[in-house]
Amino acid sequence: MPKFMYIFRGGAAVAPGLSPAEMQAHLQKWYLWADALAKQGRHPGGNPVERSGKTIRGTDRVVTDGPYAEAKDLVTGALILEAASLDEATELALACPVFEYGGSVEVRPIVAQEL
Amino acid sequence: MAAELPGELVADLFRRESGRLVAALTRVLGPAHLALAEDVVQDALVSAMQAWRFGLPRDPVAWILQVARNRAIDLLRRDRRLAALRPALESEREMAAALAPDADPANQLAMMFSICDEALAMETHVTLILRLLCGLSAAEIARAFLVDTQTIDRRLHRGRARLQELGRLADVSAADEARARRPSVLRALYLLFNEGYHGSDARHPLHPAMCADALRLVELMLASPATGGPDGHALAALFCLSSARLPTRLDNDGAFVPLVEQDRARWDRALIERGVLHLSQAATGDELTRWHLEAGIACEHTLAPSVAETDWRRIVDLYDALLAQAPGPIVAMNRAVAIAELRGLDAGREALRALEGDEKLSRYTFYFAARADIERRAGKRAEARRLYERALDLARSRAERLVFQKKIAELEK
Repeated sequence: MPKFMYIFRGGAAVAPGLSPAEMQAHLQKWYLWADALAKQGRHPGGNPVERSGKTIRGTDRVVTDGPYAEAKDLVTGALILEAASLDEATELALACPVFEYGGSVEVRPIVAQEL
Repeated sequence: MAAELPGELVADLFRRESGRLVAALTRVLGPAHLALAEDVVQDALVSAMQAWRFGLPRDPVAWILQVARNRAIDLLRRDRRLAALRPALESEREMAAALAPDADPANQLAMMFSICDEALAMETHVTLILRLLCGLSAAEIARAFLVDTQTIDRRLHRGRARLQELGRLADVSAADEARARRPSVLRALYLLFNEGYHGSDARHPLHPAMCADALRLVELMLASPATGGPDGHALAALFCLSSARLPTRLDNDGAFVPLVEQDRARWDRALIERGVLHLSQAATGDELTRWHLEAGIACEHTLAPSVAETDWRRIVDLYDALLAQAPGPIVAMNRAVAIAELRGLDAGREALRALEGDEKLSRYTFYFAARADIERRAGKRAEARRLYERALDLARSRAERLVFQKKIAELEK
């Protein structure tokens, strides 16, 4: 089955002033969503990333601190899963909890290595 | 980590860790740095939410703790004025001692007794307990108290400023210091419980949690000799016996269910037993506090097989004693309702009408509901209807509105 990568930007991690109860409720929604994907045999595997980091750019390999994107554009994680088509992968992403606090998902087909 | 989908999160983990860590860090850093402790804990919880989306770490509690501590050390490194605090945070031994689970009761009691400072108003005590020990946000507290968030922010500001003036948190192992503050701590926990129990929006999941928190905190006091006492046991009994009835207070439509219609078989037996045990422990000593009397009333209601078989004589006596100790219109109203059961509808009507001029009751939905119930039972439909409509106008929540609408509809059958 073709694989797709979800790239998450913004969302709860950069939303101001969430209460502990709201954070836990939000986290539960991610588990429900991922659980549903796993039960459909889509083998979701995600990785969160920290807010900070380094960027290396250009032929001079200039190293700078931080991604320094605006909060809503900051990459906050990525997940790979299996889906029949780009349309199906997009449909599955609509239920993602990242939208609850104004985040976004970029859905990208992973290029198949075998011919 | 990605392989461990999905996670099993302990209920209330974030809220609990918030209260536990704010208390622990404030004890290590001193109340002057309360704001720093709160920021660090908030950051650690946000990191946890972000990092755990794709699976839980093996030890979530240790994970949050480690992140909070690293964040605190990081902040102290950046600010030279705070350099003096670093040794405490960087010392493995000191941190381990302050943050070990068995230090929790002492940390949280120190925080709770410091919060209930004489210089602060009662509602500020409750607000600070909810924010600092129960992990509620200002917006959540505002919703619970039916006030705007700015009012809560002002209370929090006043409370934090007072705590920051203190050189250290209250020493709850010192019997004198603990004894002097105990009444105001118990009073704050009583308000916390009541807000959860009678809160305007009983369907909100935080409300039963507030009742559970009040019980947890009073039992924390009872576990330590310097902060425990018969009055604390009486309050714990009241919380248990009232909480036992929580499962039947709303019907499937979310309408409030009057005591007479509640299914007593669904009351929580374990909580009732725990309450009765607390009540027996409250009977030591020679002090009879208002918590003893209120727990006694709750006990009569909870142990009776039905409204008809309730010992109303004893309940009226307890209300008389309570009125002598803590006079107030709501207590007087509840006594009048008990009078109706003991001496009949006419006596009850008279007792309720005698309270008619009271300013607080004139805005209290259950005062008109109580009067309406009596007229309905006396067969005076028009008067009952008028009074239920009055109650309906004053109702603060959907649960209350639904029950009065139901009563009005039943009158028309």
